[in-house]
Amino acid sequence: MQAVEYFEVECPEALGAEYYKQITNDVLLDHNLLKVINKLHIFIDPKVPVFVAVGTLKKITTVVRVRDFANVNPQEGKMTLVISDETHLASMLKIFWERFGKEKVEQPDRFTVILYDVPVTAKEIEETMVADPSESLHKDLIYALRCIAPEGFRLRSEVFTGTKFTFVASENTLAEDIGTLVAEKFRLMGEVPP
Amino acid sequence: MTLVPVTYKGGIFQHDIVVDLIEDLGGYIVQKHIIAQEVVLQCFVPREDIELIRQISRPLFGEVTDSPLVGTEIAIVSMSLEIHHLPHPSCDIAEYVRRLGAKSNMVSLARGPGKRIAGLNDEERDVINEHDIAVYLLGNFEHCIEYKMPTLRRGIEVPIVLCGGPDKEVLQRIIDPPVDGYVGNVGRFMRRTKEAEELEKLDEIIAEITRVLEKKRDAIAKDPLSVSPARLMGLVREQVPEILDVTSPTPLTVQMAGLRVKLPYDSFAERVKKVSIEDGITLGEVAEVLPSRMRDYIIVKVLPFSETNIAV
Repeated sequence: MQAVEYFEVECPEALGAEYYKQITNDVLLDHNLLKVINKLHIFIDPKVPVFVAVGTLKKITTVVRVRDFANVNPQEGKMTLVISDETHLASMLKIFWERFGKEKVEQPDRFTVILYDVPVTAKEIEETMVADPSESLHKDLIYALRCIAPEGFRLRSEVFTGTKFTFVASENTLAEDIGTLVAEKFRLMGEVPP
Repeated sequence: MTLVPVTYKGGIFQHDIVVDLIEDLGGYIVQKHIIAQEVVLQCFVPREDIELIRQISRPLFGEVTDSPLVGTEIAIVSMSLEIHHLPHPSCDIAEYVRRLGAKSNMVSLARGPGKRIAGLNDEERDVINEHDIAVYLLGNFEHCIEYKMPTLRRGIEVPIVLCGGPDKEVLQRIIDPPVDGYVGNVGRFMRRTKEAEELEKLDEIIAEITRVLEKKRDAIAKDPLSVSPARLMGLVREQVPEILDVTSPTPLTVQMAGLRVKLPYDSFAERVKKVSIEDGITLGEVAEVLPSRMRDYIIVKVLPFSETNIAV
């Protein structure tokens, strides 16, 4: 986990901690989340039992624009877009349909989109924002942490702010003073709780 | 004549020669798979004739290997069907066991996960007890395993092989009374087993299962069965032809001391009981025909010689 600045798994059972470090690594890698996590501290105590994950996120500024996956070629009365990656094609078409109307947008094949008589410049098309990955980030992160946490721990409490998150899970009712534990784990990372 | 479980692999061309040979020698074919140009036969053959089969199948590029798990039905007990346990490690292990000839079923518990909340219901218990052996796949924490294992093994009569994250010695220390087999360092993980050391772990599980099954086989040999389950399989197939229409991968599943017939109990139990073996002896005289807890199948439990005084 090179992209992550701080990553620790704390557990009274040393071998258990090692396995959970591996699980965390695999899950975050699978969900492509390593690049958004800055610091992560996981604490598991099977005796209580409780699972705590606290961490900070990197600021994601990279929104996906048309120019990231398409070449725009302005021609007489039309504009041809050559698509190199289809991932965001559907959401791009949806934006164009709403903006220009379906009759002005044509897609002759998978990798080509043609816009007819649109009242914008090629530059504007290129700068059109298509997707914002940070919108679904919290959802993805909660899902990933649910995969990491032991499955029986079904009572959860999650706090997600812009750059910090805490995820606490247990199979028993969570203790009222769980906040102190969370704050303590944040301090270990040199951060203040949200 | 001692029958030993082997796997035959060879080309599809003229493989019926081998099939006929095995049957003529008094062996039984338990499963037959045809995959593209290859045939895989899982069978029981007389120990002294293995060399003969090797010789005859040599021109056909056939290969005979020992596979101690042929003719066994193994329950892989996974704590749940969630992403936490599937497909790794539960499916990896179930699949590996299957490759070596066993019929493995995954038994996933409704309330397996957790520590205090873990439980086993009567249906799960009965389904596990219908198998030859149960392989329990538990998690990574010794504290949880120690806490929940007494609940999960309540009422289980078949041998248990326990796989868990802690070391084997730790597992042996915390489980009381002891189970039949232990494999350490195989807890919950979320990656495919493909590295050499991970495959070694799977081999270790197989070795442990084999060891436990050998012990069970020895115990059965002390009071031999009235009839071999593999033989019953052939007879049921001949005399209850409806089984040929069942689309399950193994409509008749051979166990070490029984046979699972995947036909509805209510309509077929009587006919299965009346299957004649030889000299007027019927299946009902040497085996119990019971309703299985798995769907509406029939489970045939072969009785030992000491109970029936019949050996066919």
